[in-house]
Amino acid sequence: MVRFKSRYLLCEVRMSDPPSLQLLDDRSVFTALRNAVSRAHGDYGAGVCGLSFAVKYLNARTGVLFLRCRKSHYRLIWSALPFVSSLESRGQRLPCAVDCLHVGGTIRTCQKFLIRYNARQIQRLLPQCRSEEECVEVRRAVMSCSLKELEEEEEEEDEERGEVSAGQ
Amino acid sequence: MAVFADLNINYTDDKKQLRDIIETAAHLGYSTVAINHLIDLQPKKQEIRKPASVDELFRQLPVVQGKSRPIKVLNRLTLGVSDASHFRPSADLKYYDLVAVVPKTEKLFHAACMTFDVDIICITVTEKQPFFFKRPPVNGAIDRGVFFEITYTPAIKDSTMRRYTISNALSLMQTCKGKNVIISSGAEKPLDLRGPYDISNLGLVFGLSEGDAKAAVSTNCRATLLHAETRKTALGVIHTIKKTQTVEEDQEQEAPASKRAKTKHV
Repeated sequence: MVRFKSRYLLCEVRMSDPPSLQLLDDRSVFTALRNAVSRAHGDYGAGVCGLSFAVKYLNARTGVLFLRCRKSHYRLIWSALPFVSSLESRGQRLPCAVDCLHVGGTIRTCQKFLIRYNARQIQRLLPQCRSEEECVEVRRAVMSCSLKELEEEEEEEDEERGEVSAGQ
Repeated sequence: MAVFADLNINYTDDKKQLRDIIETAAHLGYSTVAINHLIDLQPKKQEIRKPASVDELFRQLPVVQGKSRPIKVLNRLTLGVSDASHFRPSADLKYYDLVAVVPKTEKLFHAACMTFDVDIICITVTEKQPFFFKRPPVNGAIDRGVFFEITYTPAIKDSTMRRYTISNALSLMQTCKGKNVIISSGAEKPLDLRGPYDISNLGLVFGLSEGDAKAAVSTNCRATLLHAETRKTALGVIHTIKKTQTVEEDQEQEAPASKRAKTKHV
C-alpha cells in the first residue's frame, strides 16, 4: 500500500498591525485561501482544494501557518497564495499578505525549519534591543530552544518576540 | 545561490511608508531594491529631479533575511514615453542607477527595443496590450541585454487587472520564450510585497518555466544592474570617476581599462 504524499507549506501571515493577528482562526484562513485558489484557477482550482487541502496549524500570535496539500497540486495552490490580500474574520475585513517560508514533505521538516527561522529572527532583532539585560534575556531564549520541548519553547519565544517588537 | 532583487518600489513622499516597505523587503529576503520615480515625458520642458539620497531615509539600513549584509537601495527612473522624439539622453539620467521606459505604441516599443539607451522596458499590466509583440524587436532587445518587466501589484489588487497581467505576460512569453524577463513588485504599501519564492512560483502562472521564473527575480535582475552599470562607462570597458582629494582641480581620471573594469565594484 502506497501512502498519499503531501506537501506542507509553511507560511507567514503579515498584517499592517500585528495585534489584529489575534482575530484569526483556522476556518477564516481556510475559506480565504480556498476562495483565492478558486478565483485564480477557477473550478479546477476549487476541485483541487477539495482534496486533502487543510490548515494544519495556525499560530494567531506570530501568524505562522501550516498548510497541507497533495504533492501533485501544491504548485497550483502555492501560485494562488500571493493573491490573498485580505482575510475575513468575525465580520471584520483584515488586509494581509501571506508569504510562503518553506515547503516540506513532512510536517516535521517544516517544524525544524521554523525553529531555525525564529532563532534567526531574534538575531535580527538583537541589534534593536535598547539595554544590555534585554539582549541577554533574548539570547537565553534563543539558546534554550530545542525540538524536544517544542511546544512550551515556542510559546515562550513568541512572547519574547512580542516583547522585543513592543520595545522598539 | 543567487540573491534576490526587487527593482520596482514606487516612490512616495511619505518617508515612513517608504521605510516600512524597504524594511519589509529586507524581511522577505530581497538583497536589492530600487525606488522607482515615475515621470511622464511631455513635449514641452520637463524636469528630471535629482533623487533623494538613501542616507536621508535610514540611519542604518535593515539587514537582509538570511544574510548578514544590509539591503542595497538604488534609484530608478521610469519614463512614460508617447513620442519617440521626447526621449533623448540627458545628463539628468546619470543621477539614477536604473532607467526604464514605458512604450505606449508599437512604434515606440520597436524604438525602445532597438535604439533607446535604457535598461528595462515595462510591459503595461493595467490594460490590454494595444499591440502584439513582434519577434524582431524583442530579439533585438534580448541581444542588447535590455530586460522586460512585469509588475505584479496590480494583479494582487484587482481581478480584472490580474487577467490583463496574465494575458499580457503570456503574450510576451510567446515571443521572448522566457528570456530576459524580470518580475518586480511596483509596491505602494508594505502589504503589496510578496516573498521571492512566492513570486518565482507565480512566474509559472505567467508562462515562465521553473528555471526562468527563478531567474526573473534573481540573476536577471543582477544582469539588469550590470547593464545599467555599463551605461555609465564607455562600452563597459572604461570608467571615469572624479577625483575627490583635490578640491581645486576636479580632473577626470582614467584608469587602466582592464583593471578598472574588474575592480569596479558593482
